[in-house]
Amino acid sequence: MDAIVQAAGLIFQPQVIWVILLSAAFGLFVGAMPGLTATMATALLVPITFFMDPVPALGAIVTATAMAIFAGDIPAAMLRIPGTPASAAYTDESYAMSKKGELDLNLGVNLVFSVLGGLIGVAILILATPVLAEIAVSFSSFEYFWLCLLGLTCAVFIATDSPLKGFASLLIGLAIGCVGIDPAAGHPRFTFGSVEMMAGISFIPAMIGMFAVSEVLRGVVSVDAQPVPLQQKVGNIFRGIGTVMKRYWWNFLRGSGIGVLIGALPGAGADIAAWISYAVSKKFSKEPEKFGTGHIEGIVDSTSANNSALGAAWIPALVFGIPGDSITAIVIGVLYMKGMNPGPTVFLQNPQFIYAVFIIFILANLLMLPLGWAAIKSAKQMLRVPRNVLLPLILLFCVVGSYAMTNSFYGIVLMTVMGVVAWLMEEHGFPIAPAILGLVLGELFEQSFMTSMIKADGVFAVFFQRPIAGTLAVLTSLLWVGMLWRAWRTRAPATVTATPPA
Amino acid sequence: MRANDAIAGLVLIILALGMILLTADFPSFPGQKYGPSLFPRILGTGVIICGVLLIAQGIMARRAGAPWVEIAPWVTDGWRATSFLLVLAMLLLYIFAADSVGFIPIAILFLGGLFLWLGVRPLHAALIAPAATLAIFWFFSSILRVPLPRGILTNIL
Repeated sequence: MDAIVQAAGLIFQPQVIWVILLSAAFGLFVGAMPGLTATMATALLVPITFFMDPVPALGAIVTATAMAIFAGDIPAAMLRIPGTPASAAYTDESYAMSKKGELDLNLGVNLVFSVLGGLIGVAILILATPVLAEIAVSFSSFEYFWLCLLGLTCAVFIATDSPLKGFASLLIGLAIGCVGIDPAAGHPRFTFGSVEMMAGISFIPAMIGMFAVSEVLRGVVSVDAQPVPLQQKVGNIFRGIGTVMKRYWWNFLRGSGIGVLIGALPGAGADIAAWISYAVSKKFSKEPEKFGTGHIEGIVDSTSANNSALGAAWIPALVFGIPGDSITAIVIGVLYMKGMNPGPTVFLQNPQFIYAVFIIFILANLLMLPLGWAAIKSAKQMLRVPRNVLLPLILLFCVVGSYAMTNSFYGIVLMTVMGVVAWLMEEHGFPIAPAILGLVLGELFEQSFMTSMIKADGVFAVFFQRPIAGTLAVLTSLLWVGMLWRAWRTRAPATVTATPPA
Repeated sequence: MRANDAIAGLVLIILALGMILLTADFPSFPGQKYGPSLFPRILGTGVIICGVLLIAQGIMARRAGAPWVEIAPWVTDGWRATSFLLVLAMLLLYIFAADSVGFIPIAILFLGGLFLWLGVRPLHAALIAPAATLAIFWFFSSILRVPLPRGILTNIL
C-alpha cells in the first residue's frame, strides 16, 4: 500500500502531468500520420526521456504508445491507410464504413473500444505481474534460456509470413548483438579496435535507424503522393455507441482477451493481435458475409485487441526482462538506462516504479477519451501536414536523438548503417521485428545459454530437468515442429499464407 | 530494388563465414569447454543454413521466371532516385562536417536542401529550416544539455 501511495506521489506532480499531456499529443500525431508508427514514436522519445527521472520517462512512453495505437485508426477510416501497422487488419473495413457514411460511428467505436480494451490490458497487467514475479524469483538460467528461446521462436513463427526469412532476420539480430564484451568470459568480440563498440551496439540509435531512418528512406521516394482525406464532416462520434456495446459486448471481451494473450506472449504485439482477433471475429460471426462491406463487428474485436495487447506486452517485459513486442523491447533498454533492471527483483527493490507504470497506464487510457476526441476533430488538419516538410524534420530529429544517446558521432553512424540495413532487409522481404528482438535479447539469451551449458557440462538433458524449464522446452519444441511442418506443407515459401505481414 | 533470394542468401553466407573466421582468434580458457566463440559460431552456422535454403528458393523462383534483380520504378525516376541518395548524402554531410562547421549551419543546410529538393516552396523552406534548427538546438542544448557541436559559432553562442 505504501508503494502505491508513493507511486501516486511520483506521478501527480505538475511536471509529470505536463510530460504525459505532451507525449499524448505527440503520440496522437505520430499514430495518425501514415508511415509513422508507435514503435517509431517510442524510439524518437527515448533520447528525450533519457534526461528525465524514471517515472516521467516511463510515463511519456506509456502514454505516447497508447495514444499512437488508437490514433492509427483515424487515417484508416479517412484515407484507407493505417496510421500504424496495428490498425492494418481492419483498415479496409473502416474505410468501407466511412464510404457508407458511418465515419462518425466508426471513429466513435474505435475510440471507446480502444479505451476499454486498453483498460482490460492494464487490469490483467496489474493482476498478473506480481503473481508471475513470485514464480520468476526461483528461475535459473535454464528457465531463462527456454523463455528467451520461446520468445524468439514466437517472433519468427507468429509474426512473419516467411519463417525462413524471419529466422534469418532473427539470427542477424542476434549476431549484431554479439558485438562488444561477451557476457560469459569478458572477451571483446567484433569491435575492430573501437572503444565505443566494446560497450556493444548502442541500442537506441540502432532502433532509431531501423524504425525511423528506414521509414524516411521509403517515404522520400513517394513524397509527392499526399493522400487526400474523405470530404465528410465529423459529427457526434459518440452516437450509437451504446447500441454497439449492447450488441457486441462479447466481441469486445473476446477481442480484449485475445489481445492480452498475444501481447503477453513474448515476441508478438498489437499488430498480430489485431489480425488474429479480426480473423476470429469473422470465423465465429453470425453474419460473416457482412465482413469487408463496412461491418462494425470485426472492428470491435480488433480495435479492442490492439490496445489491450499494448498493456499486456509489459507483462513479460517487467517480470522476465523479455519484451512482448518491439515497443517493450525499447522500454527494456530504457529500464536498464534508469538502473531499474527488469526482472522479478524490480518488484522487491523498486515497487513504487512498477505501481507508477500501472497508474500511468490507467491514466493514459482515461485521457485517451477526451484527447482522442480532440484528435479526431482536428484530424483533417493533422493529415494535411505535408510529408515533404515532415520527413526532413524527422530525419534531423533522428540525427540529434542518436547523437544525444552516445554524445558522439558514433550514434549517428550506427543509426545510418542500421537504417540502410533495415531498409535493405525490408526491401527483400526480411521482417525487422525478429532482428530487433534478437538484438535486445541476445545478451540475456547467450548468458543463460552459456551458464546453462557450463552447469550442464555438455549433458543437454539437464536443460529439461527442472519442471518449469521442461514445460517451456516442450512448448518451444512444439512451436518448432509446427513451424517446420508449415514450411514443409507450403514448400514454396514465396506464396503468402493466411498470416499477415508483420 | 529487389535482388533474387539466391543473391540475398549468398550475401548472408559470405557475412556468416566472415563472422566465423573472426572468431578463430578468440581465446579459450583452460578447463573451460565453452568460450566466447561458441555462440557466434552457432549463429553463423544457422545463417549459413538459411543462406543455402534461400539460394535454393531463389533458384526455384528464377526457374519459374523471376528475374535476378527486380528494379522498382522509382530507381529509374531521376528525381525520386536523387531524393533517396540525397537523404544518405545529407546524413554523411552531417557526420563529416557538423563537428567543424557546427550544428546550426549544417542543420539549416540539411533541412533547407531536403525541403527544396522535395518540393517545399522556397519561401516556406527559408522560414522553416532556420526556425526548426533553432528550436531543436535550443531544446537539445539548453534543456537537455546535449553538447551539440558549435563549430564556427563557438565564440558567438
